[in-house]
Amino acid sequence: MSKRISRRDYLRIMGMSGLTVGTAAVFGQSTPIQYVGESGFQSSVIARNKVQPNRSPALLANGQVIQPQRSLPVLTQTDVLVVGGGPAGVAAAVAARRAGAEVTIVERYGHFGGLWTGGLVLLILGHIAKGPKQVCQGIGEEMMLRLEKMDRAIINRKPGQNPTVDAEAVKYLMVEMIEEAKVNVFLHCWGVDAVMQDNAVRGAVFESKSGRQAILAKVVVDATGDGDVFAAAGASFEHRSHNVGLVSRIGNLDRVDTAKTSDAEKPTRMGSATPIKGVNWVNLTGPEVDGLDLATLTRMELNHRKFIWNKMQTTRRVPGYEDVYLVETAPQLGVRITRILDGLNTITLESITSATKFPDVVGVGGASSAKHGEWQIPYGALVPQKVDNVLAAGRCVCCDMRMADLVRLIPNCFVTGQAAGVAAAVAARDRCAPRNADIAEIQKILRQQEVYLG
Amino acid sequence: MTSPGQKQQASDPTRTRRRLRLSVRIACLIAAILCLWPIHASLMPVVGAMSPFIAIASLIATRSLHTVLVLGFVVALIAFFRRRFFCRWMCPTGLCMDSASSLGRKLKRKPSHGNILAAWLLLVTLGAAFLGLPLFLWLDPLALFSGLFSAAASPYSPAAWIPALIFIALLIACIVSPRLWCGCLCPLGALQDLLAKLPRMRRRRQSNSNTEPNHLTRRTILGTILAFGAAALTLAAARTRPRRLRPPGAVDEQTFSALCTRCGNCIRACPCGIIQRDTSGPWTSLLTPTLTFENDYCRQDCTRCTEVCPNGAIARTPLDAKPNVRIGLPRVDMRICLLGEDRECSACRRWCPYEAIRYVFDEENYTLVPIVDPARCNGCGACQTACPTEPVKAIRVLPYN
Repeated sequence: MSKRISRRDYLRIMGMSGLTVGTAAVFGQSTPIQYVGESGFQSSVIARNKVQPNRSPALLANGQVIQPQRSLPVLTQTDVLVVGGGPAGVAAAVAARRAGAEVTIVERYGHFGGLWTGGLVLLILGHIAKGPKQVCQGIGEEMMLRLEKMDRAIINRKPGQNPTVDAEAVKYLMVEMIEEAKVNVFLHCWGVDAVMQDNAVRGAVFESKSGRQAILAKVVVDATGDGDVFAAAGASFEHRSHNVGLVSRIGNLDRVDTAKTSDAEKPTRMGSATPIKGVNWVNLTGPEVDGLDLATLTRMELNHRKFIWNKMQTTRRVPGYEDVYLVETAPQLGVRITRILDGLNTITLESITSATKFPDVVGVGGASSAKHGEWQIPYGALVPQKVDNVLAAGRCVCCDMRMADLVRLIPNCFVTGQAAGVAAAVAARDRCAPRNADIAEIQKILRQQEVYLG
Repeated sequence: MTSPGQKQQASDPTRTRRRLRLSVRIACLIAAILCLWPIHASLMPVVGAMSPFIAIASLIATRSLHTVLVLGFVVALIAFFRRRFFCRWMCPTGLCMDSASSLGRKLKRKPSHGNILAAWLLLVTLGAAFLGLPLFLWLDPLALFSGLFSAAASPYSPAAWIPALIFIALLIACIVSPRLWCGCLCPLGALQDLLAKLPRMRRRRQSNSNTEPNHLTRRTILGTILAFGAAALTLAAARTRPRRLRPPGAVDEQTFSALCTRCGNCIRACPCGIIQRDTSGPWTSLLTPTLTFENDYCRQDCTRCTEVCPNGAIARTPLDAKPNVRIGLPRVDMRICLLGEDRECSACRRWCPYEAIRYVFDEENYTLVPIVDPARCNGCGACQTACPTEPVKAIRVLPYN
């Protein structure tokens, strides 16, 4: 019954929008660029005296700003919609596509990689368990292997070590992998809302230069990091604070003359090596704040930028360090933890200490060193307690306070991302809610995709 | 002093009696080995607690009675009536030393005589116990016997072999000079001699036959003075001494280093292997148990070391009191700590079982600093174990000072 209504709704919304681009027929092909203007100038008039169509501005009435009700154009419809193009989102999109689903991924910035690239968190930390064993396999390992074949893309790729990558190499690699997998991509799209039908998510709403639009999907993977989609859908979550920092890169370190300075006077906090000669990436932890608060985020950007610049001036005053310079501060602020889904199951510290085995295991997480054993990730940690058709992936999956600092690490985001992608593809194919998806089938596909399940 | 006639009588029992005694002694030896072999932790303290020397010295030093020490008082009671009954019928060390002595006798070695040294060791220990420092408690034969098992439990630790080497040295000494241990050195033997003499002394006083000088009283007074002197000197020395990390529930440091019999029960009972024999500390705490958190920490669900201590040097600590013991307090070296270098780490905070560590943002240095709450922390060392810095840990538990 509900399925019939939903199908009718799709058609109605799409008919009203009159903008049924990017439907199933387009899938699997890279969209050709629409070149405009043949005037011979570099710029041409596309339309004269144009008034923005489909406007629906907010109205000021009685001192209140009211957003009028309106219907939204549907940009596309798809089996699996992945919101967020970070490590979890890209892994989810590629995994879902490889599992046979039609996939669309949307990303708010102009590149993939999220905090890994835009946040300049270049260190792959969190893929090692006792042994030392690399528990992050599957798409994460595939990326590392491919980076190894690229020029100056990854260093320290040895067992038991934490490799460091070059952000631009990762951005390039992710484009390559997304295109190879034939995932439908929309960049510069900021997911702002969920499309709901009763208790189930039917898609998501995006804000972009093309205005507010929707994408309809059978299952949505929330890889926003902040859990923007499941929060908008009404799934309950834990709102947490964490340190918000800002990463930077410094250069000309190969020109430092260490002979000029004694060990005691050498500047500290100079970061760690990257694949680029003479360039280090420098982490910054920052204070513990609410990463969802606009004023706080603004203040963090301003303060951190001042600190990083002033720190560089201090460094340059040290004899021998005159040529060191600030290459860049990360385009993306280093928000660590904000919303944590209230899931069907929770990843707890106990799962390490008592080596818990979950029957619905969909991945295995690690840490930065081989100090302790691996920890299993149950499928239930990705599934909201009540809302249907949305799965969490990445740092916002359900975990306790102590595990959040392992869950949020990049390799573990690959693992939860790949799990969510495959689960979404299976649920979309079987036309069931993700909470009822066939676990054995999900595990089988994950194993085929070379994911380590313990 | 015992007359030669008495000794002749005692050391010349009938053949059947000798056989019976040997069987009982072997049975006691096997029983002691079974107790000390980690079959069941609750049996471990029984061996050491049988010694009235440990029982009385510990009672004086700690001014509290450990339940298991009642055994020692039972043995003491027997000594009132049957001098050296315990030595002849039960003591496992006695059997070993006696066997060595018989070998020595067969080799025609001259047996040693006189228990003056043993009596002094006993009196100095008991006297010093009043100041909380039972100095020679570690010479108790049952403690020495228990110490043998350290080597079996951790054969790769050189310090674990020291008690065994002492024991072997004593065996050799008994071959060279038979009866050296049981007759001349063993403070437990001397204690039993003293206890057996007490009723006779009273009788002597009653009969008013004060013709021969009362050696015992004079010796007691002298011994006590000497003991106080030695203990006072040790106490003075202890003031400047660096403290050590002790197992949870250990009594105060000065008393502990003397009260500990070095039996090694706690070391063998620890499931995490964090208790080691002290070899780097001052000589007074040589071979006492200290903790190291490099590879593991003191688990919140374990109180085994407190259960196996024969004399309460490590006081019984119920599980619900474990968070309140104070082993030490972690100190962070921000020159090594990854947070000081702005590296991503939350290991100590994550693994702290008592949620005693917070990371606080230091505005001035613009870094996070781990802060330990001394009210919550019991010094279990989980943070130190988890700390990823090498070779020196950035967070290390230090003894309370």
